[in-house]
Amino acid sequence: MVLFYVQQLINGVSRGAVYALIAVGFALIFSVLKFSNFAHGGLISVAAYAGYYFSTKFDFPPVIAILCTALIGAVMGIILNYIAFYNLQRRNSPNIFYFVSSITCGILFMNILTLMFGTTFYAIKPFFKNNIIKIGNLIILKMDIMILALTFVLLAALMLLINRTKMGLALRMVSIDKDTAMLMGVNSSVVITVTFSIAGALAGISGILLGANFTIDPFLGNMVVKGFIASVIGGLGSLPGAIIGAILLGVMEVIFTVLVGDILSPAIIFVMTLIFLLIRPQGISGHFVTEKA
Amino acid sequence: MNDYIASLIQTTCISLIGVVSIFPLTGMTGLFSFGQAAYMAVGAYVSGILAVKLGMPFWLCLLLGVLSCGLLAIIIGYPTLKLRKDYFSLMSLCLGEAVTAVLNKFGTITGGAAGLSNIPKKSTMPLIIISAVVTVALVALFKNSRFGRMSLAIKADELAAKSFGINVFAHKMKVYIFTSMIAGYAGVLYAFYLTYLDPNLFGWTRSSEWVIFLFFGGVNSLTGSVLSTIILTVLPEILRFASSARIVMYTVLILLVINFKPNGLLGEKELRIPVRKQFRTRTRG
Repeated sequence: MVLFYVQQLINGVSRGAVYALIAVGFALIFSVLKFSNFAHGGLISVAAYAGYYFSTKFDFPPVIAILCTALIGAVMGIILNYIAFYNLQRRNSPNIFYFVSSITCGILFMNILTLMFGTTFYAIKPFFKNNIIKIGNLIILKMDIMILALTFVLLAALMLLINRTKMGLALRMVSIDKDTAMLMGVNSSVVITVTFSIAGALAGISGILLGANFTIDPFLGNMVVKGFIASVIGGLGSLPGAIIGAILLGVMEVIFTVLVGDILSPAIIFVMTLIFLLIRPQGISGHFVTEKA
Repeated sequence: MNDYIASLIQTTCISLIGVVSIFPLTGMTGLFSFGQAAYMAVGAYVSGILAVKLGMPFWLCLLLGVLSCGLLAIIIGYPTLKLRKDYFSLMSLCLGEAVTAVLNKFGTITGGAAGLSNIPKKSTMPLIIISAVVTVALVALFKNSRFGRMSLAIKADELAAKSFGINVFAHKMKVYIFTSMIAGYAGVLYAFYLTYLDPNLFGWTRSSEWVIFLFFGGVNSLTGSVLSTIILTVLPEILRFASSARIVMYTVLILLVINFKPNGLLGEKELRIPVRKQFRTRTRG
């Protein structure tokens, strides 16, 4: 019995790792531009299809396939910035426009994929020949370990970039005040483009890993909602918070799936998030974002 | 063909009520809800179940359906409307998913994925058209009232609105409840028009479609929203687009509008009835 719960805990953490990967890319854009970027889901979907082509059609080894997908993601991120947000930045549009634009772009990407590929499911060739590690009666998937490790490595790299480099300094400056940053000689639009390319690369990596973990369909990117809930639990805009939130969410989801079944668990998660917002709206990390006057 | 035109008119009118229902919320208070179709679902299902399983009369079903939407809006609005607007938008998005999940789960009551059928057909063409006209008029009155101007103040600057003594949270709650009940009303009409319901009718795409219609016509213009709803519902229907192609068309339109004409097609312009204008100038003079 204890073993069963330990196994569920492991399953929960590994699901959380997937969410964490999404949440980090999501939180990055939020911390710089202060809006929830739902187009991230669209990028993930596009990247998943790209990943399918690289790893299964062209038969690249996993590492190279992941790198290629990250590159595609970065390019898509930059394109996204130009078609959806560039004009808004130039015009200093209110926050809500970014939000609408990002949701619209997400829907656009997913539906273009539907038109191109239909709603048939595709599967990426598994990365590992023998995916299972057995410890006693516990089952751990190599894929899950890889996703978890990759998430932490990417987070560490990102934190280093943000806190230790000149680029990161510029990025933090733009996140506080874009106009002042420009007065100080920081080219804001370049910084924002770079941020989008990083977020796009993250979306690319999560896309191919999600694709390998689940099956690919155009609406795979709707998982970004889970990334959002994770960042709400962790505190919007906080990168480490997003990861903690994601793992908590994953564990919670698996527990509720065991207790009440697969169909009802979105409703339970919704209610839990509502209660969480009521008790601690600033999230676990306590990073509170308020609307500027 | 005549039947086809009649059904086109009725579905357009129902989605018109839906779009107009989010106008006070999104267009005037600046809150983006991506889950208003969930309220439509709740209204439709509550009234439909009451009619099918308990055999209640139409007016009672309608009343209870609309009231249950108001109740749900209070529950959802209380924790989220205090926070940043993003939280509200996102939770409304999740609400849609949660409602679909509940509808699928409790199949014994709701019919599950197979759907709920045998709802009596009570929504007639005149009822639907009159409802649409009345809703539009109601929202137009709302826009010109003191209450509506308070909404506009909150949209423009929440902090400033607060400093003028507007209770922002209470006001948002009222608007949210009001709009959710209208969406619920659209749902009731829909249920008694289709006589059949299934959870997929109220998915995420319908909610976002409403927001897209609103944005295309101009977030600040009720006339614009009404026009864009009519155009964007009828046009793809006549051109017989596949549903994905239709959504691609919508989204491209929206991106164009946001990038190049951020206030929508009509901007701030409204169609004014000349009689009222005269009346107003006389009272002022």
